[in-house]
Amino acid sequence: MRRRLPPPIVALAAIGAVFISLPAIALAARAPWGRFAEILSGPGAREALRLSLEVSLAATVCAVVLGVPLAWVLARGEFRGRTVLRALAISPIVLPPVVAGVGLLMALGRRGVVGGWLYDALGVQLTFSTAGAIAAATFVSMPLVVLAAEAGFRGLDPRFEHAAAVLGARPGYAFRRVVLPMVRPQLVAGAVLAWARALGEFGATITFAGNLQGRTQTVPLAVFQLLQTDQEGAIALSLVLVVLSIAVLVALRGQITGAS
Amino acid sequence: MKRFLLLATVLLAACSSTTTSSGSAAPTDLTVFAASSLTAAFNKIGTDFEAANPGVQVTFNFGSSTDLATQIGSEGTADVFASASGTAMDTVEKDPGVQDRQDFATNSLVIITPNDDPGGVSSLQDLAKPGLQLVLAAEGVPVGDYARQMLDAAGLSKEVLANVVSNEPDDASVVAKVKSGEADAGIVYTSDISSADVRDVTIPDNENVAATYPIAVIVGAPAGDLATTFVDYVTGTQGEATLAQFGFGPPLSSG
Repeated sequence: MRRRLPPPIVALAAIGAVFISLPAIALAARAPWGRFAEILSGPGAREALRLSLEVSLAATVCAVVLGVPLAWVLARGEFRGRTVLRALAISPIVLPPVVAGVGLLMALGRRGVVGGWLYDALGVQLTFSTAGAIAAATFVSMPLVVLAAEAGFRGLDPRFEHAAAVLGARPGYAFRRVVLPMVRPQLVAGAVLAWARALGEFGATITFAGNLQGRTQTVPLAVFQLLQTDQEGAIALSLVLVVLSIAVLVALRGQITGAS
Repeated sequence: MKRFLLLATVLLAACSSTTTSSGSAAPTDLTVFAASSLTAAFNKIGTDFEAANPGVQVTFNFGSSTDLATQIGSEGTADVFASASGTAMDTVEKDPGVQDRQDFATNSLVIITPNDDPGGVSSLQDLAKPGLQLVLAAEGVPVGDYARQMLDAAGLSKEVLANVVSNEPDDASVVAKVKSGEADAGIVYTSDISSADVRDVTIPDNENVAATYPIAVIVGAPAGDLATTFVDYVTGTQGEATLAQFGFGPPLSSG
């Protein structure tokens, strides 16, 4: 028999559920259904969608390739400053994205600490380029990979690695063939959350990479620009983003929360 | 719950009575709705006006002129409206109505570059140099629309717009991108650069586009005559001098 939940908890949960789902429902209610096809097939929307997919996927790959090793070092390494390094690695989650954007400008802009050298010596400019949009999205989404992967590594009994070593596996081989497969669910969860965060990224991108159709104007930036001129277009494009993210989160629900 | 409601009612009554009680004597509170580009200039004018009229307190509500016009229509707390565009003032003139409407300032466009001018820009035509990195405010943002209008009139739209590397959300972001040296040039209002550390290139009047700022007293203004006094102050010599100091031009004679 199912236990009844206490009414106050159910009431608060209901308010929470309504509050969190109302914006999505309101977007659907106000969507210009008659103009939907026309808006989404326009060059601005199409390029924004294509660019958003490219940028978010590239950022996810970068975040995993750099974030998983960083998580491993944080989980298994013993060195001074590890706590500070962990805080730094996770800080983009709590930083206002515009601050992240200004920080990236100072670091990687064409007159930035490192970016100045990139520009002068190699002629590489990240600002106003798709690579810059990917850098911004990677910066804000990598912490989610680090958090998930480090939790996975910490939950892993070190004796598995010892056993692999005793059986003659080199550390790199053991990491690839023993450790990574065992934390696969956490890695997938981290990567999916990172992808979702990269897909929604706005503040750091517009501050660091700018806003130009076809080059740095991802869907969130296109929504922002459409709001100035064509609110219906902005609503239609927003709705695409909402549906896309909910679909992915539903499809991967077990991987992220552990629920079935 | 009942006690809570009672308390809330008493508090609300207390709050509203403090705002209305001043209305019985000569009003001393003035609420001015003004375009955000006027922020620095009007804060100075407000301080000066308060000093010249002891006991008077001026409260500003700065924002986009279009948003302010909508708020004035629905709220009824504004005494004076200073708009960055005639269209927004037209909205208010229709509902709830205005009096003493007059143009009080103009704001023209200016080219800005980083102090070391990496793109070598000294005229509007230079913005068409291939490879120059130009930032503008996005379409739909007034200053961005004015800039495109100006380029169009100069017959430079095609070449110059091909150099745009970013469409920024507002004039402050354009200044930031240029000031940091990321972009070679940008186009903003002259009033944007009074305090910014950038190099500016004047655009000749015959190529420039000027935004005209109207000001008016809202019909039924709670502050009554005080609102008219403020408008007179802004349009008078002292107001004009302060506006000039912040990069605004005098109103064009409507001839």
